[in-house]
Amino acid sequence: MSTAHGQGAHDTVPDARLEKRLTAEQTQALEARVKSLESLLVTKGLVSPETLDKLAATYESDLGPMNGAKVIARAWVDPAYKQRLLTNATAAMAELGFSGLQGEHMVVVENTPTIHNIVVCTLCSCYPWPVLGLPPIWYKSAPYRSRVVLDPRGVLREFGLVLDESVELRVWDSSAEIRYLVLPERPSGTEHRSEEELAALVTRDAMIGVARVPIQG
Amino acid sequence: MYRAIKQDIADMGGVAVLPRQSGELVFHDPWERRVFALAVALCEQGLYTWDEFRERLIAEIAAAEQATGPDTLAAALPSYYEHWLAAFEQLLIEKGMCTPEQVTALKADLR
Repeated sequence: MSTAHGQGAHDTVPDARLEKRLTAEQTQALEARVKSLESLLVTKGLVSPETLDKLAATYESDLGPMNGAKVIARAWVDPAYKQRLLTNATAAMAELGFSGLQGEHMVVVENTPTIHNIVVCTLCSCYPWPVLGLPPIWYKSAPYRSRVVLDPRGVLREFGLVLDESVELRVWDSSAEIRYLVLPERPSGTEHRSEEELAALVTRDAMIGVARVPIQG
Repeated sequence: MYRAIKQDIADMGGVAVLPRQSGELVFHDPWERRVFALAVALCEQGLYTWDEFRERLIAEIAAAEQATGPDTLAAALPSYYEHWLAAFEQLLIEKGMCTPEQVTALKADLR
């Protein structure tokens, strides 16, 4: 992997809280304390363990793409912004304060009823991290990188996305120079949602192109 | 089922800002993930507003910094999710969801 493809050099300065500094004993004590607290609240009927699992997973997978989601939501509500985004994505994202790409160009590709876009990096794991956070593990896996090109429909099916045979699939190979982001279709049932509400619907997977933003209501 | 995230949680600023790396949440150990989810879950059920939780979280962080002085190394202060846990326990008591004795017992179990 060439250094130009790596993302480490472009990462933001880490904050001190990201380092673990509790000792093993402290960690063990806190594990026990939180477990007891959870049991207490479960006993009181205030929460279920399943809810907690799902909640944590949702926040872990969806917080990263927050910046990207705001870009998509803006494009959905503002046709002029959408046009700028499709013409010069790097500049359009900078308008919302999202930059951090150093030399790479962002290209946004639009899904329509007849075209579905998917992003991959066949060479390594180029990824638009300033707008999507860290890439998911599967994005970096060899099977995804090779198979999505050969059999995109099959890969999408494994992600739970079954598209009509008439929908044309376009696979975009990211590189050190160009990073792609999918503009998903705005789902029906969202006509009266605010931009902020819309942003909360957009998932990372939809912006990579392995999912759709689900129909609401 | 798709569950939307709450934007006011994602957007917390100042000392309360969530520890994140390239946008994604950072949890060092399972208890941190668990206590994060507990506070969010009870808020989602309407037992308190996120602002109420955030105010207590900020107060916990401020109190810890005041107790030790501004020159204390960050490493000597409680970690983010220890503050989070303390704020959550405080809120449970204030909202009458737990008694102070129940919360104290949780801590006492450790020894």
